[in-house]
Amino acid sequence: MSDEILRVEHLGKTFGTNVVLRDIDFSVKKGDVTCIIGASGSGKSTLLRCINLLEEPTSGNILFHDSSILDKSVNIPAYRAKVGMVFQSFNLFNNMTVLENCMISPMKVLKLDRAEAQQRAMLYLDKVGMTAYINAKPRFISGGQKQRVAIARALAIQPEVLLFDEPTSALDPQMVGEVLAVIRALAAEGHTMVIVTHEMAFARDVSNRVIFMADGVICEEGSPSQLFQNPQEESTRAFLKRFTQG
Amino acid sequence: MNSLPTQFWARVVFLLQRYGLSYLKGAGTTLLISVVATLFGCVIGFAVGIVQYVPINRNDRLIKKIPMKILKALLKIYVEVFRGTPMMVQAMFIYYGASQVFGINMNMWFAAFFIVSINTGAYMAETVRGGILSIDIGQTEGAMAVGMTHLQTMTNVLIPQALRNIMPQIGNNLIINIKDTCVLAVIGTVELFFAAKSVAGTYYTYFESMTIAMIIYLSMTIAASKLLRFWESRMDGSGTYDLATTDTLAFTSGMYPQIKDSRNAMGTKDKEEAKNE
Repeated sequence: MSDEILRVEHLGKTFGTNVVLRDIDFSVKKGDVTCIIGASGSGKSTLLRCINLLEEPTSGNILFHDSSILDKSVNIPAYRAKVGMVFQSFNLFNNMTVLENCMISPMKVLKLDRAEAQQRAMLYLDKVGMTAYINAKPRFISGGQKQRVAIARALAIQPEVLLFDEPTSALDPQMVGEVLAVIRALAAEGHTMVIVTHEMAFARDVSNRVIFMADGVICEEGSPSQLFQNPQEESTRAFLKRFTQG
Repeated sequence: MNSLPTQFWARVVFLLQRYGLSYLKGAGTTLLISVVATLFGCVIGFAVGIVQYVPINRNDRLIKKIPMKILKALLKIYVEVFRGTPMMVQAMFIYYGASQVFGINMNMWFAAFFIVSINTGAYMAETVRGGILSIDIGQTEGAMAVGMTHLQTMTNVLIPQALRNIMPQIGNNLIINIKDTCVLAVIGTVELFFAAKSVAGTYYTYFESMTIAMIIYLSMTIAASKLLRFWESRMDGSGTYDLATTDTLAFTSGMYPQIKDSRNAMGTKDKEEAKNE
């Protein structure tokens, strides 16, 4: 179990009386590509946000390399630097150029000097095919391009796990393609990723494990072939039916 | 002493000839106090707004929590008191109060700068808070997700954008200050209004003297608003950008423009050397 990076144990999250997550258990090993699927409102995004501590879990535990990140002594920014996150709405820094967006965290968080940070930013911008746009502010580039920059920004801190919160939900079909191609390439390079997505074909192809969530619980999990071709639970079948028919 | 002309414009010219320097000095004082006090007010406003925005986490130790809560409460009182009372009353309260109760005889200049600054600061505190709130939470989350601390997020992401967003409000405050410094006449600051009133009293030419004051005030405020607009457009930067060259090898070796330049420099140097040989 030494290659286990993240483990979520009995995780629960409530907003007031609204129970969003109940008794979530799963773990992420190095090199895993885990896709989380399920209807909107099933708690997928909240789960991801809990892992990155953007939301505070109300019960259960999250272990990063076998130590709890909910401990009072944990340096939360330092932990977050090891767990990258890509958002549905990109969340680029509007006051900075594409290059600066990717340089700021290596410089401020990892304390690299300017030249090193720039070199690293360029490396990852090259990986997502955005080097031509380094001088542009986010308002000048398209949604797909923004998301690719956001991926480069997340990669620039060289996190151990990369979390994707519906990275293509705000994009048109063509842009979805360009962003998914980047994520596929990252998967092929062996990056550890947890991806919340509504792109079923992509989930089937890219992941080695799929988790289906409904009403705040993990309904079913397994390998993509097992879950997509031979779902055990009735709710999984009902959910997947809509996608295969649509 | 020349006698006062009977026509309106002739009187205005007469006053300007005789007391032009007083008006000019008064206008200078007004401008100096309002510009400096607006700047200090912005500094105070940013400081207060930023402190009020510091999150208090459940995990924080009491030694950090308690002083932070007290500081926030004090700042809230400051904002409410100075926003909620007239500046003229504040001026007299502070200037005369300080000498009567504490025996401190404040320098009139210091009092003037102090009063207008803290007044502007109280307004700016709320403006800054609004400016920070106006930036969508996504950027804060984006900054947190790459491991930036609250302070780093503030200084690198939120404040530069908040500053741009509240520029119109800073301009507003400057214009209000140019006008409202006239209340400092009550503590004896010889700014434009005080000067105009003194001149008016000498010849009993209120309409003429105040016409001059009105024109000077209006020119100052229009100039201020034009200047701030210009500054805003400078802050917005260029409305366009250049695509970078696709020579990715140049980038990965560091500062790409310098590399290009040095290549050219090398090239010409080589040629020169070749010629010499």
